[in-house]
Amino acid sequence: MTQPPVVDVRSLHVRFGEVEAVAGIDLEAYAGQATALLGRNGAGKSTTMRVLAGVVPPTAGTVTVAGLDIRTDTVAVKQLTGYCPDVGGLVPRATPWEHLQLSARLRRLTGWEERARDLLERFELGDVMNRVTGGFSHGMGRRLSVVLAAMHEPRVLLLDEPFDGVDPIGVEATFEVIADARARGATILLSTHLRDLAVQACGTALVLRGGARVAAVDAEEMAGEEGARAYRALLD
Amino acid sequence: MPTALSSTDPDQAYDAPGRLAAARRSVVDVAILFRFREQAVRRRHLARVLSLAFLAVTLGAAVVPAFLPGAHGAGRAFDILLLIPTLMAGILVLNIGSAIGSGGGRELISRDQAGPHPISPTTDHLGALVLAPLNIGWMIQAWVLLGSVSYSVMPGRLVQAQVTMILWILMGTALGQVVAWAVEALRRGPAGIVISRGMLVAAVLVAGAVQLTGHTARVLDRVPTVWFFAGGTSPPLTWRLWETVLVLLLGTVAAVVVGAVPAHVAARRMPRDEARMETDQHSPRPMPRSVLGILVRTDRASVWRSVPMRRGVLVLAVGPGLVALFGDLKWAQMTILPGLVASGGALLFGVNAWCLDGRGALWRENLPARATTLFDARTLVLAEFLGVASLITILVGALRAGVPDAQELAALVATLVVVTLQVVGAALRWSLAHPYPVDLRSARATPAPPAAMVGYSARLATSTTFTGLVFSGCAHVPDWRLSLIVGMPCVMWSATRLARTRRRWEDPVTRARVVSTVAA
Repeated sequence: MTQPPVVDVRSLHVRFGEVEAVAGIDLEAYAGQATALLGRNGAGKSTTMRVLAGVVPPTAGTVTVAGLDIRTDTVAVKQLTGYCPDVGGLVPRATPWEHLQLSARLRRLTGWEERARDLLERFELGDVMNRVTGGFSHGMGRRLSVVLAAMHEPRVLLLDEPFDGVDPIGVEATFEVIADARARGATILLSTHLRDLAVQACGTALVLRGGARVAAVDAEEMAGEEGARAYRALLD
Repeated sequence: MPTALSSTDPDQAYDAPGRLAAARRSVVDVAILFRFREQAVRRRHLARVLSLAFLAVTLGAAVVPAFLPGAHGAGRAFDILLLIPTLMAGILVLNIGSAIGSGGGRELISRDQAGPHPISPTTDHLGALVLAPLNIGWMIQAWVLLGSVSYSVMPGRLVQAQVTMILWILMGTALGQVVAWAVEALRRGPAGIVISRGMLVAAVLVAGAVQLTGHTARVLDRVPTVWFFAGGTSPPLTWRLWETVLVLLLGTVAAVVVGAVPAHVAARRMPRDEARMETDQHSPRPMPRSVLGILVRTDRASVWRSVPMRRGVLVLAVGPGLVALFGDLKWAQMTILPGLVASGGALLFGVNAWCLDGRGALWRENLPARATTLFDARTLVLAEFLGVASLITILVGALRAGVPDAQELAALVATLVVVTLQVVGAALRWSLAHPYPVDLRSARATPAPPAAMVGYSARLATSTTFTGLVFSGCAHVPDWRLSLIVGMPCVMWSATRLARTRRRWEDPVTRARVVSTVAA
C-alpha cells in the first residue's frame, strides 16, 4: 500500500478497572476497503469500535483517524466517522427523523433530507420516520442505526453488529450501504459474529482473541467450510 | 419427528399450583428477588450504616419525645394529641397517592429484567409493598406520627399506642397498594385514562369544596382513624385495646391478600399510556438554528414524552399547589414549596440525568459536539423542568394568597432561583458519580435503585427545606434586599459546584464510564 492508512491503531490498550478489554491491538484500514473484525464475545471488537468512534478513550497506545489523533482531535474524528453501536444506539423517545436532524445539525450538513429519506426507504423505515423509536423492534432499531451511521457519508464507517436480528431486506440494504461507501473511497470497519456475511461484505478480516489481534487475512480465506475450520482454530 | 403433544397423547401440560401454593411461592420469590437486588448494592457498608440509622431514628422518634419538657402535658402536647387521628389519615392518603403516582408502587425488579422469569403479579405486588417504606415521604410521616404519639400520650400507655401506630402504618401501606392496583387496573381498562382523570378531578373538587366551605375541621373530627387511636390508647389489657390490635392485624393481612387481585387484573391489561407513548407520531419540525438549540429540543422531547415524568411532574406541581391553595398558605410560607417540588422533580430523572438517552447514549456520544454543550443542554432542560413545576405550584398557591409585599416576592424569587440551582447542581453531580442503566418507559420506573433514591431524597429534602426556611425568615423582614443579599452567596456557591461538575464531564474517561453504564 502506498497510501497511508485512514485508520491506524497501534498497540491499543483499554482498561475498565481491573478488566483489560483490549490488550495491544494493531490495526490498519485503508480508503475504499472494508475490514471485518471477527472474534468471540469479549474479544475486544466492540471496545475497539467505541475507541474509533471517540466514545471510549484509549488507556494506552495510539489511534489516528485520517491523521487525526483521537485523544486530542476527538470532535474532528467524530465529524469524520459514522457509528452504529452494538447495543441500541437510539434515543428511545426521539423519532428517526429527529435523530437524523440532530446528526445533520451537529455535522453542519445541508441538503441532507433527500438522502436521508432515500436511506429510510431503502431500509423500509419510511413509514415510521415520525414514530418514537422506543416501540421499535430490535431489527428496526438495528436498521435505523445503520441509516444514522451512513447518512452523512462519513470517511470512516463503523458498523458494530449491524446484521444482528435484521431481516434479509435489511441485510441487503446494509450490503448496499457498505458497497456505496467503498465506491466513494470510505473506510469501513465491520464487527460481526456472522462470518459468512463478513466475508461477503469485506475484503480483509481481522480475528481478535482475548483483546488482541491473532490474525489478519483476506476475507476469502474465511469463506466456506475451509474458512470455518480456519476461523474455529483461531478462536481457541 | 414431531415433538409437540398430540390430542391423543396423555395430558402432560404444566400443572398450575393451587392458590395457596402460588402465594407461598410468591413470598419465596420476593425473598429471592430482594437478595438479588441486595447483591447489586455497590456500597454495602453504607447501606448497612443507613439501615442502622433508619432503625435508630425510628426508635428515637418513638421514645425520645416522651422525655422532652412539656410532654404529656395539657398545653402543646394536648394540641398534638388532638391532631394524631388527622396525621394517621394523612399517612393513608400519602400511601395511596404515592402508590397511584408510581403506577402500582415500585418494582423490585424492572419489567425488562423480569420478563424472562416466571414472576407472578402477586410477587410484584408483594415486592412493591416491601419497597414502599424506601421512600423519604413515607419515613418522615412515620417518624412524625411516632414522635407525636411519644410526646403526647401518657407514659403508661406509650408502648401499646406505638404498637397500634406501627400496625396502622403497615395497614395504611397495604391499603394504599390495594387502591393503587385498583386504579392501575382501571386505567388500563376501556376508557380508563379518562375515568381515572375524572376521578382525580372529582377528588380535588370535593377536597376544595370541603375546605372552601369551612367544613374541614368537622370532616377531620369524623375520620375513622379516631376509633383506632382511641382504641390504641385505651386502658391496658382491655378488650377495646385487643379489638383494635386485632382489627389492624386482620386489616393488614386482608389488604395484603386482596391487593393481589387488582394486581393480577392490571398485569393482564396493556399499560395504555405507555403503549400510546411508544407508538406516538411527531411531525417534523424546522431545524433549530443552534447546536445548543437542537440538543435542548432532543432532551426536552426525552423528558416530556416519558410517562413517569409527565405523571410525576403533574402530581408534584399541582399537589403542593392545591395544598397551599386549600390550606390558605401565606406568601412567606410558600418559600417551602419550590424546594419540595424541585427535589421531587429531580427524583423523576435528574439524579441520573444521562439515562435520558438510554441505549442511544453511545450513538449520541459519537456526534461531533463539544462535551460542554451537551452538558449545558442537559442542565438547561433539567432546570426548566424543575422551574416550570415550581412555578405552577406557586401560581396555584397564589390564587388565594393576595398580592405579595416586595420582601415576600423577593424571598420567593430568591428561593426559586437558589433551590433550582441547588437541586440541578446536586442532581448532575450524582448523575456523573453514580450512573445507572435505567429505561424510563414504565410509570413504575425510577432513575436509581430504591436505596439510592432514599439517600438522594433525604439529602435534597434536607438542603432545600433549610433553604426554604431561611428565605421564609427573610420574607418577614421588611426589606426586600435582604433576600438578594442572602441569595447571592448561595447562587455563587451552587454555580461554582455546577461549573466543577461541568469540568469533570469534560474528562473523556469519566464521560465514557457514564455513557457505557447508562447504555448497558
